[in-house]
Amino acid sequence: MTEFSPHIVVPLLVWGTLVGLDLVSVPQAMISRPLVAGTVAGWLAGDMEAGVRIGVLFELFALDVLPVGAVRYPDYGPATVVAAALAAGTPWELSLGVSAALGLVLAVLGGLSLQVVRRWNARAIQRKAAALSAGESSAIRRLQYGGLLRDAVRGFILTLLGLVLASTITESLLVDRRTAVALTLVAIGAALSAGASAAFRSSGRGDRLKWLVGGLVVGTLIAVLA
Amino acid sequence: MNGRLRAMLRLFAVQGTWNYERMLGVGMGYAAEPLLEDLKAVDPVRHGEAVVRSSEFFNCNPNLAGLALGATARAEYEAVPGAQIVRLRTALCSPLGALGDELFWAGLVPALVGFALVGVVLGVRWLAIVGFLVIYNAIRLWTSYWSLRTGMETGMRVGAAIGSSWLPRAIERVGPAAGFALGASIPAVAAWYLTGFGWAAVVGASGVAVSGIALTRWFGPTLTTVRFALLAMILLLLFGRIGL
Repeated sequence: MTEFSPHIVVPLLVWGTLVGLDLVSVPQAMISRPLVAGTVAGWLAGDMEAGVRIGVLFELFALDVLPVGAVRYPDYGPATVVAAALAAGTPWELSLGVSAALGLVLAVLGGLSLQVVRRWNARAIQRKAAALSAGESSAIRRLQYGGLLRDAVRGFILTLLGLVLASTITESLLVDRRTAVALTLVAIGAALSAGASAAFRSSGRGDRLKWLVGGLVVGTLIAVLA
Repeated sequence: MNGRLRAMLRLFAVQGTWNYERMLGVGMGYAAEPLLEDLKAVDPVRHGEAVVRSSEFFNCNPNLAGLALGATARAEYEAVPGAQIVRLRTALCSPLGALGDELFWAGLVPALVGFALVGVVLGVRWLAIVGFLVIYNAIRLWTSYWSLRTGMETGMRVGAAIGSSWLPRAIERVGPAAGFALGASIPAVAAWYLTGFGWAAVVGASGVAVSGIALTRWFGPTLTTVRFALLAMILLLLFGRIGL
């Protein structure tokens, strides 16, 4: 991370909070997708290249998530924001692995924090059960605004915690160049495995699998020619 | 701002109070409020009952929630018996969940993300990212508008309207597009990251990728891709420390 000054941290906190809210609560406009969250965070931290590299990496992990029903999954939004901030200002080949490690831990914490918010929402509803049974619209509104506020606080705390950890890592973690590059390669390999697993699992054995194979051929041509 | 527009805007926060008991229930009640306002003057007792029903348990894909919201609101105005409205809400949960998840989470999102990743690799970064956001949100906005309008127009006959709509056909088309986009993005992204590293590094990263695919498949939900990644990093640091 280039520096831990207020003019960088405050926009990152705001962005992390918005990204945290977008995942489930409002507006689900896909700004919480790591590709978007990471690129903007990198730009805010003064290093868009790092943001894009982190965003693409976490996007591969996020492809493995199918948010259907009551399934539990990591929250990659604020995690990507923090990882992009940590990676900013350092060549990505050296920073990607360490940033990814911090981001993945935060993503897991983010997933757990979602469960906490959902349980708090349930408790708030239980407390207002009588008002809901009486058909009080004001009780519904208060519950809704309370739920949104809880999720916003969740995103804010997650981003703040991540930035504090990122600052600590920047100041105290000593990783030699060889290990940093090795961590980056492991992170890339693991992310590719997540993306490929998601692609094959979602394709099944029907037409979609044929299209996936076609895509692999085209992607390989792009890889060779680009 | 009319009630229908306010309801549509509120639908964007339909998961704001997501919980394991009522799921989207309270969010649906919040979105239903503007639609049910006129009922208050006509039949206050019915309005109270309608508000209670609107915030009971409900779950589906949030982008298609307008179909259920519109249909039940119309049914309330048509004085359909409350038990029938509850049955309609319950019956709509699974199909709207399955159709919406298939269309958005398993189709449109991976398709657009896959194409955006290829765009990033090809160097059109902002265009790819902004394009992804604009296309996704345009489709989603239109779907939300269509859902609410169709629900309001068809009421208790919303099931037939869904069956004969564009939804099943769109799902058939978007699935292959998602497969193709994801397929194209994986090797393109791999090359984008690994070009510039030596052959040994490329072989090492590929080994991690293949191990990850195999191990997360064999050890199923216990070893998720995130756990595999963290485990691999910890092992790397441990082996480095003991000099391997």
